[in-house]
Amino acid sequence: MDSLVASNIRQRPTRTLISVAGVALGVLLVVLNTGLVEGMLNDRIRRERGIGAEIQFGREASMLSPSSSNPVDVRYAGRLRRIQGVKQVSPVGYYVQSGNSGLGIEIVEGVEFDSYAAITGIKIVEGRAFQADDDVLIDEFKATHGKLKVGSEIQVFGKMMKVAGIYSPQVGSRIKLSLGALQRALGAENKCFSILVKVNDPDKQTEVQQRINDELPGNKVILTRELGLDFGREIPGIKGFVRAVLALSIVVSSLVILLAMYTTITERTREIGILKSLGAPKRYIIGVIEKEALAISLIGVVVGLVLAVIAGWALERATTLQLEFHWSWLLRAALIGLGAGALGALYPAVRAANQDAVKALSYE
Amino acid sequence: MDAILKTENLVMTYRQGKVDVHALRGVNLTVGRGEFVAIMGPSGCGKSTMLHILGGLLKPTAGKVLVDGEDMAAMGDAGRTDVRRRKIGFVFQRFNLFPTLSAEGNLKLAEDIHGNGGKGADAETRREVLRMLRLENKMRHKPLELSGGEQQRVAIARAIINRPAIILADEPTGNLDSENSEIVLEMLQKLNRELKQTIVMITHNPEAAAVAARTIEMRDGMIVGER
Repeated sequence: MDSLVASNIRQRPTRTLISVAGVALGVLLVVLNTGLVEGMLNDRIRRERGIGAEIQFGREASMLSPSSSNPVDVRYAGRLRRIQGVKQVSPVGYYVQSGNSGLGIEIVEGVEFDSYAAITGIKIVEGRAFQADDDVLIDEFKATHGKLKVGSEIQVFGKMMKVAGIYSPQVGSRIKLSLGALQRALGAENKCFSILVKVNDPDKQTEVQQRINDELPGNKVILTRELGLDFGREIPGIKGFVRAVLALSIVVSSLVILLAMYTTITERTREIGILKSLGAPKRYIIGVIEKEALAISLIGVVVGLVLAVIAGWALERATTLQLEFHWSWLLRAALIGLGAGALGALYPAVRAANQDAVKALSYE
Repeated sequence: MDAILKTENLVMTYRQGKVDVHALRGVNLTVGRGEFVAIMGPSGCGKSTMLHILGGLLKPTAGKVLVDGEDMAAMGDAGRTDVRRRKIGFVFQRFNLFPTLSAEGNLKLAEDIHGNGGKGADAETRREVLRMLRLENKMRHKPLELSGGEQQRVAIARAIINRPAIILADEPTGNLDSENSEIVLEMLQKLNRELKQTIVMITHNPEAAAVAARTIEMRDGMIVGER
């Protein structure tokens, strides 16, 4: 290809490589972060929805953003059980710790095994239920990805605990211990995060929800099926986080392209003068530089997407993190990469187009 | 004479620090269609400034520059660029070819800027021009793979590829040895003779000026003689 754009890209491999890396980094940031947010959240939503309880009772905090503060008195369980239409209740406590791989967070649930198993249908497929405060249960996913088995030790509350059993199917968090052990460890006696409520007739869950609201006002009573309908609203700050990542990637990609193109334009001052002497109007010169930036950005987008897929695969293999690449985010990441490239090249392009032709021609 | 280029009382004054430099002091020049004119003069006499004004790269302080009837002195940068694109071809002392493009690529670029990059452009025309300048076997070569004389001939080919009304040549043999200078001058003469191409050439070299039909002498920003 004997065009100015293609030949410039080929003739300046270091500049091209750095620019491609900058755009790829921006794309990687967007795809990986949104992939992680969506993957982790959707994984959690799937496990929460499969919990078997039609209703979850708690405080104003979102049911999808658990914290180690357990604000609900477990004595609500008794009052809930007496409400018409309620079949079974089970209080659940939460403890949030950093992931064992050092990445992300991990939620540890404290449960009363019998009532919890009655609602969720979980079964011990290996080992036994917890008996002591330092016994934990893990699900099959955690066992496989964490290379854990019955008798292995994992860190909870900053100390080593023993895997007493492995359960199936995957519901709720991946690590569970007894609610009593969790309360004692957190110094939160008689407290839990939420109470799972199973109703007699799933078709009448809305009526039961209304009755709970009437009898126990001031609490958060949500239908499990509605969890995650708007994930941006479910977890406070998630939209802000995603926006921050988008802004950061735009800034990184734009700056790299701006610096690369600015340097290139300075190097090519004489060539800009030649273009002007040939009668190239400003829009032509801007077009040449923008086309070059877009071509570089396109390569960067492709590299970024490929790297993101590879990094996602590696992360899923090495950790328990879940990633989901949605086509709309891949498209947005690509558009961000191209847009940032075009934006970054705009100032150098306009500057080049406005250069004095005679001075540019005499540039050494 | 059918004038293709005419200047009327052309004045150019630069501001250098706090000093006004009078580069051109009322130059009146007329070049006929198909004429080959050389402009000679010592360094600093204003001949390069005049060439840049004739090509629309600079706007004069005062006076008129009529190129094929269009007054470039009355135009803004965009207007002068448009006239330059349609009617003028430049040949520089330092060739000013794009080093990353082949000889043919440099010609294609000029066609693209001129607006002939689409249906108007044809490989046969490019080959014909390169053949005329004895470069037919150098089409795929990049400037650094060519001798100085060959590079200047590619620059001439680029200047004429869009059939401009005027070629402005700024010391076209200034960077060449005598053998290549001779070839380049011969080519310019051939273009003038065979294609009736109007050429205005700036030179220090009396031998180069001798190939032109008319030589204009400049000194201190004014035309002081004509042969």
